[in-house]
Amino acid sequence: MAETDTKPRIPVTLIEPIDMSRLDPSFREEIRSMPDADELSACFACSTCTAACPIANQWLYKPHQLIRMILLGMREEVLNSKEIWECLTCFQCQERCPQKVRVTDILFDCKNLAAERGIVPEKIVALAKELVDKGQLYVVTADWEREDLGLEPSVPGLSTEAVKSILQGTRTGRLTKGGD
Amino acid sequence: MPSYSLYMGCSVPANYPNYEASMLKVAKALGMELHYMEGVACCGSPNLRAIDYSGWLTVNARTLAIGEKNGNDIVTPCNGCFGSLKDVLHHLKHDSTDLGRVNEELKKEGLQLKCTVRVRHIVEAMYTDIGTDEIRKRVTKPLDGVGVAIHFGCHVLRPADVTGFRPEILRELVEVTGARVVEYPLWKQCCGATVLPVNESLAIRLARDKIKSMKESGAEFATVICPACGNQLDLQQLGLKQSYGETYDLPVLMYPQLLGLAMGIGEDELGLSMNRVPADGILAHLTG
Ligand code: SF4
Ligand code: SF4
Repeated sequence: MAETDTKPRIPVTLIEPIDMSRLDPSFREEIRSMPDADELSACFACSTCTAACPIANQWLYKPHQLIRMILLGMREEVLNSKEIWECLTCFQCQERCPQKVRVTDILFDCKNLAAERGIVPEKIVALAKELVDKGQLYVVTADWEREDLGLEPSVPGLSTEAVKSILQGTRTGRLTKGGD
Repeated sequence: MPSYSLYMGCSVPANYPNYEASMLKVAKALGMELHYMEGVACCGSPNLRAIDYSGWLTVNARTLAIGEKNGNDIVTPCNGCFGSLKDVLHHLKHDSTDLGRVNEELKKEGLQLKCTVRVRHIVEAMYTDIGTDEIRKRVTKPLDGVGVAIHFGCHVLRPADVTGFRPEILRELVEVTGARVVEYPLWKQCCGATVLPVNESLAIRLARDKIKSMKESGAEFATVICPACGNQLDLQQLGLKQSYGETYDLPVLMYPQLLGLAMGIGEDELGLSMNRVPADGILAHLTG
């Protein structure tokens, strides 16, 4: 009976309403032109990818939502999300998608666009710096361990110069410059 | 005698020389000639793909071009290297614009990629070119019935249209040692290696889920074919004592170590003492 006195309840929504004025339709096209993203628009939001993802339960944006957000043009939210970097690249979502949307590959594309703006987790930049400076992610330090096993102390055939010089001229080179 | 270009990558030689040594020994005993590739370095791993697709293409196309010039199939013991090389080769086979761009860059070194080279994981080469019948003949100390859980690793299994890897290959290769393959619910799941630099506690949780699932399904050992997966499942067990207060004592052997033991190769030669979780159980089993 007291119900008539109370104000109408605000409907409970799970997500914030989307601000239409901030959508960027060119984002979808940009992603679609990137590697392995041509099936992007085939997504019918079934969320099978999310069901397959081992870590979606701890994400604010689930894989199917990220795909939807790209289609809607939510560039800022996607490129600034922690989810694209936490993705394990395990391809389980992609394997299950009934529409052949290459979800993992598309998240790689998103990371590339984020990286172009310099949005990269610190430790990934540190790894990139290893690659640019040393031409490899891991350097042999315990050569005695190798010798004990009858292996050459340094890796036969290893030559890092070409990799270093290739990467210096790319985005990796640019990303690691600001880091010192 | 089949001959191969061996792409070692950087993680195996720097962190798992025992994987490298056991692979070389087993391959030799099986009559496989492995030649270290000259002039190659790191594949960049999925981390390079994440920040710099084009740099990742060029670096890996260069390795592929060197392999193509050598004339043999490229084999690698690392899922990360395997995934990178397979994916880049697949992409460049289907994208002539990118192939042209990459070849412009490679021309400076007198290299050219035509995409005719084949890339395989070392265990695929063992399975296809030597075969389980031949391998069985060399098994002198069968691991009769010991329960082994296989962790394949994401980048060898998926995307299936790119990797073309059949899980049965490794199952049969484990069975040929006399071991029993233990099925466990999380067999397809990621070990968490790639997320380690971004979210360490998440990476540890994933490793834990995996090890727990193996152990609860009755595995006495686990086997892996990737240094990053090995790191997650073997080394992280020490961390699990701290973060979860849980002890699993599940030895994790690189597949060539497992096969090597069954072929009667000594534990020192296989570098078993470098595995973090001691493999005493399997040794007792062999001598007992
Ligand atoms: S599984 Fe495929 S179609 Fe379904 S929501 Fe995910 S991306 Fe879209
Ligand atoms: S690739 Fe990334 S998004 Fe897809 S299932 Fe794995 S962790 Fe989830």
